[in-house]
Amino acid sequence: MRFSVGAAALAWCAAVVPARPVSARPPPDSLRLTLVAPESVRVGQPVPLVLRLTNVTDQPVGAHFLGRTIAFDIVIAREDGAVVWRRLAGTAVQGILQIKTLAPGETLELRDVWRQRTNAGSPVPPGTFVVRGLLPSDEPAPRRTPHVRLRIFP
Amino acid sequence: MNRNTLTVRMLAAGAVLAAVGCRDAMGPTAAAPNAATGFTGLAQGVQAPDLATLARIIPGFGGFYLDAGVPTVYLLDPAIRGPAERALGAYAAARGVTPAQIRVLQARYHYRDLDRWFQRISDEAFSTPGVVYTDLDEAANRVAVGVEHGAAAASMRELAARLGIPAEALIVRETEPIHFLQTLRDKVRPVVGGVQIRFSNFLCSLSFNAVRARTSGFVTASHCSDKQGAVDGTLYYQPLNQVPDEFIGTEIADPSFFRNSQGCPHGRKCRRSDANFSQGASGVTFTLGGIAQTTGANNGSLDIAGSFTITGDAIGNATVGQTLDKVGRTTGWTEGHVTASCANVGVSGSNIELLCQDIVENTVQIVGAGDSGSPVFFIGGGSTVTLHGTLWGGNSSGTLLVYSPIANIEQELGSLTTH
Repeated sequence: MRFSVGAAALAWCAAVVPARPVSARPPPDSLRLTLVAPESVRVGQPVPLVLRLTNVTDQPVGAHFLGRTIAFDIVIAREDGAVVWRRLAGTAVQGILQIKTLAPGETLELRDVWRQRTNAGSPVPPGTFVVRGLLPSDEPAPRRTPHVRLRIFP
Repeated sequence: MNRNTLTVRMLAAGAVLAAVGCRDAMGPTAAAPNAATGFTGLAQGVQAPDLATLARIIPGFGGFYLDAGVPTVYLLDPAIRGPAERALGAYAAARGVTPAQIRVLQARYHYRDLDRWFQRISDEAFSTPGVVYTDLDEAANRVAVGVEHGAAAASMRELAARLGIPAEALIVRETEPIHFLQTLRDKVRPVVGGVQIRFSNFLCSLSFNAVRARTSGFVTASHCSDKQGAVDGTLYYQPLNQVPDEFIGTEIADPSFFRNSQGCPHGRKCRRSDANFSQGASGVTFTLGGIAQTTGANNGSLDIAGSFTITGDAIGNATVGQTLDKVGRTTGWTEGHVTASCANVGVSGSNIELLCQDIVENTVQIVGAGDSGSPVFFIGGGSTVTLHGTLWGGNSSGTLLVYSPIANIEQELGSLTTH
């Protein structure tokens, strides 16, 4: 079969063969997301929490973020998995997508403080908790930090 | 909507044709496309000689193809089948067919003539509107032209006559057009609702096209501008690159927040809609009432497969329990049920409060980063929809979206013609 098609169809060929530049993503291991939290605190003491997103490559890396001010979530759960506090619980976040480039080695820091209260406002009793950070983008699932353990002493 | 500029649907036949066209245009197998198309199983390791070679070594060769898997050859003189059996014997054997079982059909035209006519008509056919493809059809021993409509068919017959191609050697087939497959994140013209737009270093979705005070343009979320609640002349591009070719408009209306009045709580700044209006750039075409439609609701697809048409605007807020849909550049076409009507909603990380908004929820993700500005609508039947408003936010898990009702938007931006 000798076959010719119109320009539109050939443009489609070009579109499906190479990677689509609009949705180009950095390699999954080019950005490292970590959570920094104290190992232990006294009950009632504010808990500083920092999410760090680092470009671990020697090239600039583009990243997508939710929000004009970058939205990030922190989930604090008991060891049995019951969530006691979630930073973005019950909030409405503007659905805008921010494009940002991280220079080689650059780290983006996102900070918050947990007041040791549940989302309902009740004080949290002493115990061991599991903390995790999440960084939403336009991917179906947010980027997640490894779990960090936090002990609250009486 | 112009079907030729906004990709709508590639039918299965069209996709096959386009795929063949891609290979012919790009691959080294262009001279022997048959060898790469239908051959499967045992025959994959043994390719048929290319058609040009067969035309050279088989006297009276008119074409070669597989008929239900059986090697079939056109010959001007079917009685002289020896050269064909020798040329195609190895290939036939690899398919479990003996040389004697190769099917021979009476050819009307020699392959060299068909190829010459094919080249001639291909050189000129595509300047005629409605021509979809040209083909040297080996299975028919003819040159074939696919057209969208009768006018193009008549033009092709006239062209063939002018080029000296025998009328009997040409087959004109009416066929579906082959469209450029686009996604919500591609350049789409005419511009329609639901597609990706960019300003500064942010991406959002275009809500809907509109005419405001005799100015044509479009609506998107107010926070999808350089400064929410102020006319700042934000420049919008579609889809991504901030270059003149992708420039589509400039913000000209974005009302200020109000405080301590009209139900705005103390310490907050309020509006009734998160929406602004931009004047469309000259030279850019917009389809009033058009919203890009992907392949299905809540299926994750961003491929544009058609369009919704706005035929009316909702009055007031939605009813709790009602099903509403949206189209946006991140999660595509999604739908859910209204769970709150006329709710005052605070914006995370700010002192902004949006009054009398509607909320839609589902158990699956229906909103994501970049969906701000998405048109929210009710599907009345087929592809006609009633516009309900402009999406501006959601919860962190993406199962809940918030939108500003069109009535609130018009209250703040002024009367809009949306369809």
